Amino acid sequence: MLAGMTITAPPVIETRGLTKRFGARSAVCDLSLTVPAGCAFGFLGHNGAGKTTVIRMLVSLTAPSAGTITIAGQSLAGHREQVLSRVGAIVEEPRFHPHLTGRENLRVIAAARGPQARRRIEPALERAGLRDRGNDRVGTYSQGMRQRLGIARCLLADPKLVILDEPMNGLDPAGILELRALIADLVAEGRTVFVSSHLLDEIEKTCQAVAVIDQGRLVAQGPISELIGDRQPRYDLTCDYPGAALGILAGHPAVVQVGQTPGGLRVTLADPRAAGAVTAALVTAGVSVSSFVPVRTSLADRFLGLTSRVGGSAAGGSAAGGSAAGGSAAGGTA
Amino acid sequence: MNPTILGQMISADLLKLRRHRATMVTAALLSVGIAIVYFAFIEARHHGNLAGPQALSDGATLTGIYFGAFAAILIGAEAGTIDLASGVFRDLVATGRSRSALFLVRIPAAVTIALTLTLSGFAVAIAAACAFHGSAAAPTVGLAVEMAAWVALATVVQATLAVGIASLTGSRPVTLVAIIGWNTVATGLLYLASFLGPVRDAVLLIALGDLFPGQQVGTRAHPGSSIALNNFKLPMPAAVAVLVILAWVVIPVAAGACRTRSRDA
Repeated sequence: MLAGMTITAPPVIETRGLTKRFGARSAVCDLSLTVPAGCAFGFLGHNGAGKTTVIRMLVSLTAPSAGTITIAGQSLAGHREQVLSRVGAIVEEPRFHPHLTGRENLRVIAAARGPQARRRIEPALERAGLRDRGNDRVGTYSQGMRQRLGIARCLLADPKLVILDEPMNGLDPAGILELRALIADLVAEGRTVFVSSHLLDEIEKTCQAVAVIDQGRLVAQGPISELIGDRQPRYDLTCDYPGAALGILAGHPAVVQVGQTPGGLRVTLADPRAAGAVTAALVTAGVSVSSFVPVRTSLADRFLGLTSRVGGSAAGGSAAGGSAAGGSAAGGTA
Repeated sequence: MNPTILGQMISADLLKLRRHRATMVTAALLSVGIAIVYFAFIEARHHGNLAGPQALSDGATLTGIYFGAFAAILIGAEAGTIDLASGVFRDLVATGRSRSALFLVRIPAAVTIALTLTLSGFAVAIAAACAFHGSAAAPTVGLAVEMAAWVALATVVQATLAVGIASLTGSRPVTLVAIIGWNTVATGLLYLASFLGPVRDAVLLIALGDLFPGQQVGTRAHPGSSIALNNFKLPMPAAVAVLVILAWVVIPVAAGACRTRSRDA
């Protein structure tokens, strides 16, 4: 739904040259990230890639070594209190005072947010499905319940932006489904949900746009459909005479590339509309086509391709500065 | 900051402390429980002839410098570290609320609870002084009020000091060992080191002792005994004592506030 469209929406998060150094080591390096408003945005990276460090800078838990952060059009450095008043965040795992009840824990955070937040405690508990357990001590909660209480805590801010750091961790399948639905609901209400994760399949199901970070550097960002979409569609062909088909396809004007695979042939076309003409050419030449199936690239495929590529060249520091203009891989070597 | 928000934040910090059962029970035992045991013991020894002023003096010492003070330090240390220990500090910071405000609201919360406990402990002393003086001198209202005010001062200072040190170190055990160790072992040694002269005026309990309304800080096993557990009373100008006490509050609070502002949450 958001492919190419939401990316033009005003950004809710914009970082420029964001850098965090711990001594000589750069955990985040020159990160220029643009998160459009009103979508679920996935923030992907291997463990230790720098995702949590970025999130910690976004919510002012640690100061950047360099660079700027703008949230909802306002500089975080200059308007910290105002900016964060409409941001709800779970950083790493949600933590609470175990000796207080769920309701009391929300009261503690609501006190810091202001009187309106206190009025949101009951609706937030209700929405997180914890109203009946709100008077139980958090020490007795399961990890899934703590995640839900963490979401309830985010909702106290009536947030424009919700930041969730690895929210699926520790959730059972039912919990993951509930979380996915909740994220969709939050987006439908016009909020932006920024989800960091290394669960690529979940991000693909939940988010409309992503950014990929590797070794502290941004390697790609944009709508998922554009990021994983093949400009030159690929197909797996099975037929009775692969050798003959290879020769025919190699000379066909619509075919960009063709090669053998263990099950048949992998064909790359210049245009998906040429698929019919290509199969017709094979049939006309006497090759019986059993199947001609588009190869779908998953986010996981794309992610692994991006990060392994950067992993190999990171020492040269060449990958940086992805564009927000849609589905671009940074570094110019995609 | 908006007074409503300030009130809510103090109330939230009170809630965190109040509901921490282990700390509250320990602090109550130290401040009230020990006062009850002490006066029961004294009464058993003196059979209804405990001089009122002596009982008030003993009660003020117990609650202002000894066990009541330990309770105040325990509460202060808990208030200074509870958010860090539970991992909630980062969520409080992420609300956008100023870190200075997050630090400062710990002080009234800790002081409120510590005062409630130590003054309750001192109330036991007042009750014992009134009930058990027998034919000995009765306690006066004036002295009781003066002693209570001194207990309140000692409590406020030590609870605030503990909040500051705990926020600085981020560790409750380190805070407890440092402050209680200083107040007992180090202070006792410094008090005896007469060659240090007026340098000893800078020690917190010696300065607090100077403002003590009774003649001698300490508890006695029986009236008339010259053996006090401790006697941190050195002659010094009251203004010096006040300045020393202020420094023991302001410096740790400033250090704790700075650390809270700069700490990675």
